[in-house]
Amino acid sequence: MSHSPATGVPDVPGSRRVRWIALGAIALALMMISGLLIYLSPVLALLEPHDPALGRVAGAPVATPPPLDSKQRINILLLGSDNDQKFPQDALLAQTMIVVSIDPSTHQVTMLSLPRDLWVEIPGHPGAKIDLAYAEGGAALARATVEKAFKIPIHYYAWVGLNGLVRVVDRLGGIDLDVLHPVLDDNYPNDFSDSGYGTERVYLAAGPQHLDGRHALQYVRSRHGDLLSDFGRSVRQQQLLLAIQQRAAGMDLVTALPTFAQDLKGHVKTDLDLVRLTQLALFMRNLHPADVRQAYISPYVRDATSADGQQILVADWAAVHTYLRQLFGGDLLP
Amino acid sequence: MNRRAVVVLLSAMLALAGCTSSSPVAHDPGRVVLPGKQLPVPGRLYATKSRALYRFSGTQLTRLRFASRVKDPAVTPSGDRIAVAQLQDQSATIVVSDPNGQNRQTLTSASAAEGPLWAFAPGFDGSGQRIVYLTDRGKQPSSPQNLQPNDLGVWSYDLATGQSRRLVQPFAYTGGDSDPSYRPGVSDQLLYTTYLYGGAPPDPVARLTWMSLRTGATVYLSPNLGRNFEPALSPDGRYLAYVRAGSGSDDLLVMPLAPTYTREQRPYPSESAVLIQSGVISQPVWSPDGRSIAFLMLTKGSFDLFILPLTIDSAIHAAGVAQAVTHGSFLDADSRLAWSS
Repeated sequence: MSHSPATGVPDVPGSRRVRWIALGAIALALMMISGLLIYLSPVLALLEPHDPALGRVAGAPVATPPPLDSKQRINILLLGSDNDQKFPQDALLAQTMIVVSIDPSTHQVTMLSLPRDLWVEIPGHPGAKIDLAYAEGGAALARATVEKAFKIPIHYYAWVGLNGLVRVVDRLGGIDLDVLHPVLDDNYPNDFSDSGYGTERVYLAAGPQHLDGRHALQYVRSRHGDLLSDFGRSVRQQQLLLAIQQRAAGMDLVTALPTFAQDLKGHVKTDLDLVRLTQLALFMRNLHPADVRQAYISPYVRDATSADGQQILVADWAAVHTYLRQLFGGDLLP
Repeated sequence: MNRRAVVVLLSAMLALAGCTSSSPVAHDPGRVVLPGKQLPVPGRLYATKSRALYRFSGTQLTRLRFASRVKDPAVTPSGDRIAVAQLQDQSATIVVSDPNGQNRQTLTSASAAEGPLWAFAPGFDGSGQRIVYLTDRGKQPSSPQNLQPNDLGVWSYDLATGQSRRLVQPFAYTGGDSDPSYRPGVSDQLLYTTYLYGGAPPDPVARLTWMSLRTGATVYLSPNLGRNFEPALSPDGRYLAYVRAGSGSDDLLVMPLAPTYTREQRPYPSESAVLIQSGVISQPVWSPDGRSIAFLMLTKGSFDLFILPLTIDSAIHAAGVAQAVTHGSFLDADSRLAWSS
């Protein structure tokens, strides 16, 4: 018979079994946590605050995200940039700005496109096109600019580069959408050429079809052949977001997520935390196209030329804010 | 690791565990897949997958080899010749061949003084001697510093003389026109889709358009808002099938077409069209006997080939449910179908 070295009390077989079970349970728990960490590490890498410009703006308004268990509206600023070789990687213009507003109480999502040529006041700068905010101060300044101009509290941001969008769509196995009109562009920027300055010819037939990442990017990026130019592009961008949501809703995220996240490393940045991300992912899975409102401020802007000769858009801000109050109810900043 | 992080990770794991799909979308298998119980296809029906041309006939599936990628097959009523748009890196040409893809003849140029050219969507007339197609030929040379429109217009090619001419000048910066076809049984009428913008703020609009080749006059068969597109004429020229975009759907409808070309069309004929099949549908084509329509329909993330039988008495309507010819095959939904006897 063995004795416990600490107490000198002889061990009974039952207590030794309990000890082994406890040790086994601890080992199993450690293995599960290690496995979970390995599984989630690519995801966690995306969620780190990568943006070096965050916090650069002193005194910038930053809305506090509502608690996880609340039914309050959550607003996310989606930013998209050219990030090919012809741009300095720490000063990218935001070519796409869309506020995605999620209202858990009504189970509705609103997508509001902000035109890139819109003339706004950027905190710390004189008037400028809104796309300059991200280049000058990263997500923090883009967020502060949107909050100041539109009075929409921005709780989170998500940025995606050209390659990121292509990879998202390809990882989903492509997306299905109804191309609204034929897309022809003889001067489409060849995003993936060595210099980044080349052009290529693009043709997409109109009508329902399946698009891979490269063609999905062409669809949302081309504007030379569209009478509506950037407004037409905004409509197509929102259409793509819906198609991505619909496709992702049919996917097995458990197995897809780690490789998905690994693919996107360096091409996507966000300050969404893991819990909020999964909460939103679950919300989006049960979303139907009828639950999504697509919104634009195009009726409330007009073409103009800035003092330094830039072609810009000028907003009727009173009309914009009236429209936004209809969209967001009382959830705007004072 | 602190307690909060563990809670976060575990809750994330539990949340993700609930994310397993209940109705998973399919992924492209890289080949045409036929269902276990095959649907025999009367005549010869052509479709493309990944820009390769396939022919369905009876229960036989044949891949026709071309030198490069192709789309938009067309076939003469007798089935003795086919035409395709053959794609190069930055251009496309119209090529005709025998039904097996042999004895090819390239009809259009890949480039001209104005730059590289596109050519798509060929369609034979009843005699098989003329082809109608889309091209950006005749555009102004364009560069990033001097942007010019390059919308697709409708042209015709005479196989006997080798001459081509423009039939329709597209609206600039709309993408141009699409889906041209001659009306069977007559030699002087054309159907196509006009793309433009309408409403305030402007939205993309697609209108079914009927043209007299004798006078050059056109008349719209669908309203000035909304999108009605991909017109397909029955073999006797009496009925027009087309796709109407709705909220989250692209439905298949059929309407009768007046026997002779008529300028005045009020109300628009499409407003009294009959819904034949709802869903996300593209590229309708009639069977040679006019008793069924084939189309591509989105099913679990894949566009597959379906055939829907029709009944034509005092009106036209579906005579049953659409039967699947392929299953999870990811056929090219932006490429036309063609069907001959």
